[in-house]
Amino acid sequence: MRRPSPAAARRHLAVLLAAGALLTACTSGAEPREDTDPHTAEPGTLRVLASSELSDMTPVFERIEKDTGVTLRPTYIGTLDAVDILATGKADGRYDAVWLSSNDYLRLRPAAADKVVSETPVMSSPVAIGVKTATVERLGWKPEEVTWSAVEKAVRDGRLTYGMTDPARSNSGFSTLVAVASALSGAQSALTDADVAKAGPRMEEFFRGQRLTSGSSGWLASAFARRGDVDALLNYESVLEGFKNLTVIRPKDGVVTADYPLSSLAATGPATREDVRRVAEALRTDAVQRLITEHTHRRPVVASVPPAAGLDPSRRRELPFPGSRSVADGLLDAYENELRRPSRTVYVLDTSGSMEGERLSRLKQALTRLTSDFRDREEVTLMPFGSAVKSVRTHVVRPEDPETGLSAIRADTARLRAEGETAIYTSLRTAYDHLGGDRDTFTSIVLMTDGENTAGDDADGFASFHRGLTGERRDIPVFPILFGDSDRTELEHIAELTGGRLFDGRGSLDGAFEEIRGYQ
Amino acid sequence: MGIVLAVLLIGGVAAAVVAGRDSEETGTATKTVRMVIGSEKAAFFADPDVVEALAAQGYTVEAETSGSWAMEGLDLYGYDLAFPSSRAPAAELAQKHGVRGILPRPFYSPLVVVSRRGAAEVLAANGLATPVGRTPGTLKMDAYLDAARRERTWQQLKGSERYGELTGTLFISSTDPQTSNSGALYLAAASYVANGGKVVASDAEVERTAPLMRTLVSVQGAQQSSTDAAFRDFVSGAGNPLVLVYESQVAALLDEQQNADDLVVLYPDTTVNSDHTVVPLTDDGRKLAELLGSDPTLRKLAVRHGFRPQGAITEFTAATVGRTAYLKQQLTGVRQAPVPTSAVLRELARRARG
Repeated sequence: MRRPSPAAARRHLAVLLAAGALLTACTSGAEPREDTDPHTAEPGTLRVLASSELSDMTPVFERIEKDTGVTLRPTYIGTLDAVDILATGKADGRYDAVWLSSNDYLRLRPAAADKVVSETPVMSSPVAIGVKTATVERLGWKPEEVTWSAVEKAVRDGRLTYGMTDPARSNSGFSTLVAVASALSGAQSALTDADVAKAGPRMEEFFRGQRLTSGSSGWLASAFARRGDVDALLNYESVLEGFKNLTVIRPKDGVVTADYPLSSLAATGPATREDVRRVAEALRTDAVQRLITEHTHRRPVVASVPPAAGLDPSRRRELPFPGSRSVADGLLDAYENELRRPSRTVYVLDTSGSMEGERLSRLKQALTRLTSDFRDREEVTLMPFGSAVKSVRTHVVRPEDPETGLSAIRADTARLRAEGETAIYTSLRTAYDHLGGDRDTFTSIVLMTDGENTAGDDADGFASFHRGLTGERRDIPVFPILFGDSDRTELEHIAELTGGRLFDGRGSLDGAFEEIRGYQ
Repeated sequence: MGIVLAVLLIGGVAAAVVAGRDSEETGTATKTVRMVIGSEKAAFFADPDVVEALAAQGYTVEAETSGSWAMEGLDLYGYDLAFPSSRAPAAELAQKHGVRGILPRPFYSPLVVVSRRGAAEVLAANGLATPVGRTPGTLKMDAYLDAARRERTWQQLKGSERYGELTGTLFISSTDPQTSNSGALYLAAASYVANGGKVVASDAEVERTAPLMRTLVSVQGAQQSSTDAAFRDFVSGAGNPLVLVYESQVAALLDEQQNADDLVVLYPDTTVNSDHTVVPLTDDGRKLAELLGSDPTLRKLAVRHGFRPQGAITEFTAATVGRTAYLKQQLTGVRQAPVPTSAVLRELARRARG
């Protein structure tokens, strides 16, 4: 691997994310940080490090509390980040249980696997493709006959586009990637490095059809609804079943299934593990299994409860998850640096006078750290602004020499100076102008500001400018970051208008920049 | 074998409550027995009926769970007995703690392969299993290992085209042999067959059988770390068509629900029993072990949890009436492979995981 794996590169940030920066699934909702420390132990409460995908389980948690008297307090996080937290010992004493979509990746990291005592699978959901019913008809597909190769062919013919979550952040994305690689490589058993290499050219074709990327299933869903011109979503069956107009297809040549094991931890005491055991037992009772399948469209793990109506009971081949970390990380690395469409981002950075001092040094530190996470082929534009845009500097991370682009970004970052007013809207317009032209990239704008708009265009002016945008430029989202004294309402409005999402950088600016990576 | 100790308190408090008496008041001495057990018996000892049956005999049990192979690393001071899920780790524990005499084995359960009707029919049509009908089938280990050696795929088996899910390399899913007992016992059975019906003992035999063990494991990719998890995936309709589990898990499932769908149980013609073996560390420990094997109520409860009590087969036979399509009442015709020493088994597991 030429670059560290995405997971390894992000390790230093994982804990910041775990501290509760997760935002709600709506387009622009950023939650303020909780005042209470989420890591304080309380008797009768289990602090659960949980996959973001489990946020649809709230009614089940309530039921479990009623049945067992044990309260589940989830901290939602991406699966790979959770594995990092476990492996580095940072879950010790902070969490009482771990509940991921799957422990497959966890088991590839012995340092993480050793932290787990017992695992109880609670429900299951396979990776599937949800296709707009009109598209299914247009393609002439019989859902029960569709294979990954058929999806690939439709993409190659320019007849199918889709969205999926980022495999480095989300287990649904990772499982999808494994399924696609297994199917397109023709591997008959668990993937090897050779299979991944062999499938490269076909996977590149396949991922050319990807129009949306997202750090969470929730935003993916709203972006999909907003865009209207994307034909399909790749995600867990349980997520896709939540859409009314999608035909959910489990490809005939195989799926990867998540089994959601509730896991107890070695670093906890016997009383805690007994609580975890009781919760696991309660989750497997018929009544709760029924509630789970009806409410979340996941499949039960007890034979006495049938899957919810609409879940096709016919069987699918299970594509094995890689058995070694080198294969799993190699696949992720190939996806990020070679296979997916590259990202193209303008960072619109407030360097007005009020940023002077600690704020500017935090910004510089965060940006410098972020360079370790940029992918090969990525185009990064730094656009610092005050009373107007001060400079426009574009760098490309070239695969043959990534360091040149990265060190140029760091050098530009070091040169940032705080001065002037805060011209948010005028600077955003400049960013949109810069991004004109159709390019085969995931294009977005990140807006970091520590104050209100004080110069140039106002909100109405920007709204009318945005209404005038056409083609691909209209689809470019702005991801604003709350920082310092920025105006939450103002930024929320920008996120909503452009189809972006608000992130909270007040606790950790690094964490906010890092979380946005999943959307770029 | 990198297994983490689980220290789980089970049933102790419940026992006192269910028993509903205090030793001073009644004059009956209630003895508290502390034990460390394999996790697959946790449900048995937590069962209120088991707690009650033990209390009726004057015992309160405090059970903590541990991987069978991890018990060796535990300080067992203050414990009355250790109860791993197979004989090999028990023998090592006995030696380590200077326990003499016969080690009680109150109940056991053979390893079986669960599958679905379609897959079982394809295996039978291609000489890999006996036909399944009103009785469970038999998996021919020789033929299976031969197919595994040649990395045969389902597509190459005649009749498989009728079942869309039957594609890819033919293999049995097992748990991770380095962390889980059933995965390790799978290698014990397979290496015995591969070694020409002889238990693998010498370095040369390890050398000769290790590559096949590596094949059996590497095709699976990521493996579950507990047999329960592997079985649950199967029940939910996910996963590989052939999964190695304990017969007790199937029996317990059939006990809970009548409709077993198109479940098929295949008994490998050479398998390994999970012999739940007690290592008594005190007199109380030995008495409790004997009670588990002799008390009719406790034997019946063991059957309810799917275990086969040692000795007379009447309880298990009676409980399986009506379920003989899935379960063999007697294990005639099923050969028991002896388990290699734990040093050899660990080496095989290490090389299998690669």
